[in-house]
Amino acid sequence: MKALQATFLRELRAYFVSPLAYLVMFFFLIYNGAVFAAVVSVLNDPRSGGTERPMDQLFQGFFFWIILCFITTVLTMRLLSEELRSGSIEVLMTAPITEVQVVVGKYLAALTFYCALWVPTVAYAGIVARYSHVDWGPIAGGYFGIFCLGALFLSVGVLFSALSKSQLLAAIMTFVVLVAVLFLIGLLDNLFNGEVAKQALGYVNLFGHMEEFHRGIVDSRHLIYYGSAIFFFLFLASRALEDRKWR
Amino acid sequence: MIEAHDLSRRYGDFTAVDGVSFAAADHEILGMLGPNGAGKTTTIRMITGFLPPTAGRVTIAGRDLFESPTEVRRHLGYLPENVALYPEMRVEEYLLYRARLEGLTGGGVRTAVGEAVERCMLEEVRHQIIGTISKGFRQRVGLATAILHRPGVLVLDEPTVGLDPKQIISIRELIRELGRERTLLLSTHILPEVELLCDRVIIIDRGRIAAEGTPESLRRSWVGNPSLRVTLKDAPAAAPAVLEGLAGVLAVRSGAGGPGSFVLECDRAADPREEVFRAAVERGWVLLELALEAPTLEEVFVRLTTHEQPLEGGGATEPGEAGSPPEAPPPPPPAAGSGSSEVPS
Repeated sequence: MKALQATFLRELRAYFVSPLAYLVMFFFLIYNGAVFAAVVSVLNDPRSGGTERPMDQLFQGFFFWIILCFITTVLTMRLLSEELRSGSIEVLMTAPITEVQVVVGKYLAALTFYCALWVPTVAYAGIVARYSHVDWGPIAGGYFGIFCLGALFLSVGVLFSALSKSQLLAAIMTFVVLVAVLFLIGLLDNLFNGEVAKQALGYVNLFGHMEEFHRGIVDSRHLIYYGSAIFFFLFLASRALEDRKWR
Repeated sequence: MIEAHDLSRRYGDFTAVDGVSFAAADHEILGMLGPNGAGKTTTIRMITGFLPPTAGRVTIAGRDLFESPTEVRRHLGYLPENVALYPEMRVEEYLLYRARLEGLTGGGVRTAVGEAVERCMLEEVRHQIIGTISKGFRQRVGLATAILHRPGVLVLDEPTVGLDPKQIISIRELIRELGRERTLLLSTHILPEVELLCDRVIIIDRGRIAAEGTPESLRRSWVGNPSLRVTLKDAPAAAPAVLEGLAGVLAVRSGAGGPGSFVLECDRAADPREEVFRAAVERGWVLLELALEAPTLEEVFVRLTTHEQPLEGGGATEPGEAGSPPEAPPPPPPAAGSGSSEVPS
């Protein structure tokens, strides 16, 4: 546990001393600010008719998903690739620490930084609340959804980072896989009309989950789904790290 | 205490290490020598638990490495050949992190870091960012990391690489001191280092142990005869014949220093320097150089690991101290004046 904590704190600190993290933070806030400004200006247009839940617009749509894939990729690409590339994995894995502790420590650091990235965006809800009515339940649900999706995407990123010595390759694989899976889910959802197929897809449809989350619905089935998927990817990542020994 | 039992490691079809067994006792510095690609680093990685062996067992401080890996690693300090650190961290910050990783807590963390900083002479770079310090300092940060948790077993892979001569001396001093308190396995290319520091040496070649023993016993058993370097002015034509006829001289070869230079292979017990001097005086030759070269560990090394000259009985471990050395052609004379102590690779 001590070793896991030490790894977690080191990784978290590494984020805050790396220029990349500040760049990501800067870009992320500019980006979300722009999206928010656009949403506000569209909703203010008399022709748009307005909406009951203005914050919803921030939790859906192309701009939301693409930034989600992007930041989770950037935050995880370095985690294990860099250790493998520089060779620092050797001194790390000869310390009294297990592969699982390394993976989980790094993952939690990424997740913490990811959450920290989103915190300032709560200000948008505050701005909306200043001028109009805000229903805080769905917003909390939306942020919870962002947490769950991010946690899932980060675990995928950690897995690819454990598979490659190259940060760039890890990043490309993570991004491509995330976008491809999202695209595929959307496509399949549109293709199938059968009752059973719809229901089956409903379990894995991340868009659908997010929609429910930001309506304020937190379904325990989704939580189990995210939890087990994250567990699975992190497990694979630690196995990938162990596998390196046998080659 | 390190015990390696019959360690083997294969990468696909290639056998990097093949049935290596050895033991390093407490308070002993065991040197590991071998040419590049002999399997030294693979062996070391198996001992530190970074690589699992294909076959064999490692016991450290009496505990099996594979049965209780994390427990065993607490007793182990390791300086890898390629010291990779986190360049964005400060030296002290990194050491504090490593101390916590090793399971130290509370005041023990600061004490351990302070001690390691002092022993490895890192005071002046303590607050610097690792990415900005020199290779020598990075090497010492690596060493500080290895001794931070006061492990009973230290494994150092090429610890003095990249250091300047003054640092090398102080690090060797430190290694000697560390070896007094614990088991130390030292892999190196630098032969004088082995002679200076190690109580015992194993020479690894092509994944097997080619020889094992104290530096003295290796020299005695593996290197044949001492040689005498003679340089005569104007290269007298009769010189080879005359020199060969002297008592105690077994053979005469021409040396590296031009036409007047010779290398005399001498009988082990003999010291024909006086005879050479008298012979030169009698004939009026001008003697420019006369030097007896004791066999060095370097020659042992070259002989054991140069495969163009196959060794009869090669691969034997610890040829009996009193036994006769294997018959083999004399080792090539060291390049004149090069003073090189690096192992040819």
